[in-house]
Amino acid sequence: MKREGVPSIIGVAPNDMFTCKDSIDHLVHFLDGELSAEDEAHLQEHLGGCPPCVDFVNTYRATSGMARRALVKKMPAEVGTALQAFLRSKLAAK
Amino acid sequence: MTQTGTHDDRALLSRAQAGDISAFEELVGRHQDRVYGLALRMTRSEPDAAEIAQDTFLSAYQHLPEFRGEAAFGSWVHRIAANNALMRLRHQRVRDLVVEEPVEPEFTDRGSLAEYPETDWSRRADDKVLDDELRRAIQLATDGLAEGYREVFLLKDVEGMSYEEISEMLGISVPAVKSRLHRARLGLRQAIDDFYKEV
Repeated sequence: MKREGVPSIIGVAPNDMFTCKDSIDHLVHFLDGELSAEDEAHLQEHLGGCPPCVDFVNTYRATSGMARRALVKKMPAEVGTALQAFLRSKLAAK
Repeated sequence: MTQTGTHDDRALLSRAQAGDISAFEELVGRHQDRVYGLALRMTRSEPDAAEIAQDTFLSAYQHLPEFRGEAAFGSWVHRIAANNALMRLRHQRVRDLVVEEPVEPEFTDRGSLAEYPETDWSRRADDKVLDDELRRAIQLATDGLAEGYREVFLLKDVEGMSYEEISEMLGISVPAVKSRLHRARLGLRQAIDDFYKEV
């Protein structure tokens, strides 16, 4: 969701182009759709002329999903059995 | 959990709240992987994760009468597990304080990237099978993040909690949560980038 009239987060003056640093500093807000219209325009303008930053944004965006997949853990069967036994002993005592 | 799953949870929850222990056990079976996974990612300790799962489900059972069902059962136990894991980490932190800051990109004086990404590996993010070595590299990089960054990254990007929930759990502001998340993502992005540069 864009918020009209929200001041620029890092204080870039109107009509100044974003640098790579400005663009990368804004990424959380950009991906959350929280940039002001002005900042988003600056960022899109920068990305339009900076292929390395496009690669950076794409890989930054992909990082969370890759980590989520890499860090999947399942409860081992023996831990599940111990959990059941633990809960039965506690619940039966109630 | 699908909508059907959530619906089934509600039926099981009603039975469990009425004292049906087998219904509660079925709920446990449906959510144990998620709870254990969260606890293991947060604490990096299998014994701790097993204990957190036990504490979490016992606590959920003890508080069943108070659970009104505004949230899904899964989200509720997930949050109990996250709080339990954080509490355990607070105790451990005194023993093994990690102070490494995430690696951030370097810029020239004019604000340009000092080093360009060599490849856009984001296209491989959808590969069905994640390479074992890449999986290990991501695990190592996540484990190596300083706690404040690691917790926020795991809670937001892996566990899917909201900024507001994390802010409340960690006792820091939403902007601070976002700032830590950004730096953690930068560090992990760099670790994955380094992995692809080496292969």
